[in-house]
Amino acid sequence: MATSKKSSELLESMYSVIALLFILVACVELCDAAAAVDVYRLIQYDMSGSPFGSRFAALNHHAASSRFPPGADLSRTVLIIPLRELNITFVREYITQKKPLGGLLFLLPEVLSFKHGGNKQVPEKEKMKKLLAELERLLVHSNIPYPVYFAFENDEIDTVLADIKKNDAMGQPATATTGGYKLVIPTAEPKKVASPTITNIQGWLSGLKADGDANQLPTIAIVASYDTFGAAPALSVGSDSNGSGIVALLEIARLFSLLYSNPKTRGRYNLLFGLTSGGPYNYNGTQKWLRSFDQRLRESIDYAICLNSIGSWDNELWIHVSKPPENAYIKQIFEGFSNVAEELDLKVGLKHKKINISNPRVAWEHEQFSRLRVTAATLSELSVAPELFEGTGGLFDGRQYVNETAIIRGVKLIAESLARHIYGHQGKNVQLFADESSLAVNPAYIRSWLDLLSQTPRVAPFLSKNDPFVMALKKELADHADEVNVQHENLEGIFTFYDSTSARLNIHQVASVTFDLLLLLVLGSYLIVLFCFLVITTRGVDELISLFRRPPSRKVKTA
Amino acid sequence: MTMFHFFNCAILTFGPHAVYYSATPLSEYDTLGTSIKAALVYLGTALVKLVCLATFLQVSENDGFDPYQELLKALIGFIDVAGLYFALTQLTHRNISQNHKFQAVGLGWAFADSVLHRLAPLWVGARGLEFTWDYILQGLEANANLVLSISLAALGSLIWLRKNKPKTLIPIIYACAGIVATMPSITSYLRRGLGWHFPKVVGFELFTSLVMAFISWQLFSACQRPST
Repeated sequence: MATSKKSSELLESMYSVIALLFILVACVELCDAAAAVDVYRLIQYDMSGSPFGSRFAALNHHAASSRFPPGADLSRTVLIIPLRELNITFVREYITQKKPLGGLLFLLPEVLSFKHGGNKQVPEKEKMKKLLAELERLLVHSNIPYPVYFAFENDEIDTVLADIKKNDAMGQPATATTGGYKLVIPTAEPKKVASPTITNIQGWLSGLKADGDANQLPTIAIVASYDTFGAAPALSVGSDSNGSGIVALLEIARLFSLLYSNPKTRGRYNLLFGLTSGGPYNYNGTQKWLRSFDQRLRESIDYAICLNSIGSWDNELWIHVSKPPENAYIKQIFEGFSNVAEELDLKVGLKHKKINISNPRVAWEHEQFSRLRVTAATLSELSVAPELFEGTGGLFDGRQYVNETAIIRGVKLIAESLARHIYGHQGKNVQLFADESSLAVNPAYIRSWLDLLSQTPRVAPFLSKNDPFVMALKKELADHADEVNVQHENLEGIFTFYDSTSARLNIHQVASVTFDLLLLLVLGSYLIVLFCFLVITTRGVDELISLFRRPPSRKVKTA
Repeated sequence: MTMFHFFNCAILTFGPHAVYYSATPLSEYDTLGTSIKAALVYLGTALVKLVCLATFLQVSENDGFDPYQELLKALIGFIDVAGLYFALTQLTHRNISQNHKFQAVGLGWAFADSVLHRLAPLWVGARGLEFTWDYILQGLEANANLVLSISLAALGSLIWLRKNKPKTLIPIIYACAGIVATMPSITSYLRRGLGWHFPKVVGFELFTSLVMAFISWQLFSACQRPST
């Protein structure tokens, strides 16, 4: 028995050597995964040379949940954190203290997905909004040297996560020797987006020029920025910021085009509609758009109303200005709006924020107008100026967070105020855009455009020059305006963006090396037992013994 | 690591054939030629079966058990038996005893079957990152198939090569041969008609192969007694 043990050991070591050789041979990775999920990467950008966001895209590590045993080495593991278990201080600690980590995967509730969530109600809306806003703020302003991805929960991922949690609870984080789940995202290194373009679309409705009047008619501008920015650019649909503004602008354009189509009802003001891009980047697009104007046109602008987030307010809207409230023009605008607001049973407040020319930060779109000495104001539900990359359509800004009724009321307010100014009905109680009239605000139009916008991510560097959505906006504006122009510009040089915004994650269930070695042991012993059994049954036990004692028996023979 | 798994499954699937050859007296009598010829006959049979299946069988949309189709498949499966008959009787073997002839033919047959049916899925599937038990089960199935092939070859040699058999045993021999020959249909019925899972089916195959091997061994030794 001792000799048979030795020979079996010899066979074993032979097997192990061959096995090791095979391990060294490079093997092709095949994609038959336990689960495959669409994932969306955290944005990666440089601002004035400083890197921000997640700097890597490819992933090939083991998975762990947030219940990993303390003190475990996580530099080659990916933490999967569902939103409902998110502990912001824990994540902040990890990121700010630059602790080594293989990757982060955040699981968002399925209701937030614009592909599958539909219009279901979001449970605990406000809490989730706050949590997501905080998470986004943390991630967007940090430099993270490992991949960070977002995914939506579904049954497959939930079962995988439950399994991982069970393994972690037993104190076995997944590594190469203990099996578990492996997350693989096979993408290339993210590359810079070469010369990102911002596209401004403007529509012009000419007013009625009296015969013999050589002077240029005054112009009123209505502007809204249509692009978004968020932690996950492939998910930044910005329904409220600024989908509500775009929809309101289109509806106002439609109403006034109806009025202006008949010369009898055409006002003596030109209307300029502007859909600008580059909003999150200090309204860079608006600045370039305004600079491209003819001096005379710029001087003819009476005032400009900028729309920013008018989709989720209850009873109060704010008009933000940069000129002091005592200014005659500002007073006129504000009174016009207040009168209409009173009739519509809502409140309008005035907020004044001085511009600091030396500060490059532009918080409101009207500030770009004010810097070129054009009277302008921003109508918004926000009472405080947003910080950089805040309120630009993030993770929580989906269809569920926007209210059609609010937009309809906002459109009524703006349209009535504009009409009273254009047709000189200030102070008179005339309702031009009454419900049930031919000029009523069309809820179906607003709803359909809002739905479309809530399914279209619109981060400017990832919108090409001839992006179908931009073309659709242009076509829609062309339906309402006399003349439409499209202006392509390059985004300001201090921002650089990197591509690879979405990918497909493969989750593999892998067996550990110990399992394979065990299996090898079992198979080796099985084959040996089979061998001995066959020798015994066909040739007899003596043959078996003689196999292992050949040298001595030969010696006996020769002797 | 995944090559490791492939290696494990490969030795499970093909190891027993090599072990059988080296352990039994087959290696001493150098019956490798016979085995290779049997393997080639199996290839030819497989081609003929393929052509017949392609001509006569309709592809069903659902994975249910269609009796008519299964009957057709069983009939085509008898081509297997014809091929085995050809290998046992028509091929000129060197002067090896009948005892070893059927073993060599059965071994060659089973080896060709394993290579044809199991090598490609193993190479493509077992090297991936994802771990499934399928390939280990497939290896066990290959083992069961080896035992079944050798039993079938034994019964076949009894039917066609041995002239003087005890009269009482003949119907039993034919019955057992019939059961072993229709094993593929039986397993497919179990999988599709009754909805058994793969591990259960493989367990059933292993069990029946051992039972049939035992029965054919008894029959063979019973038939051998009169002649000695």
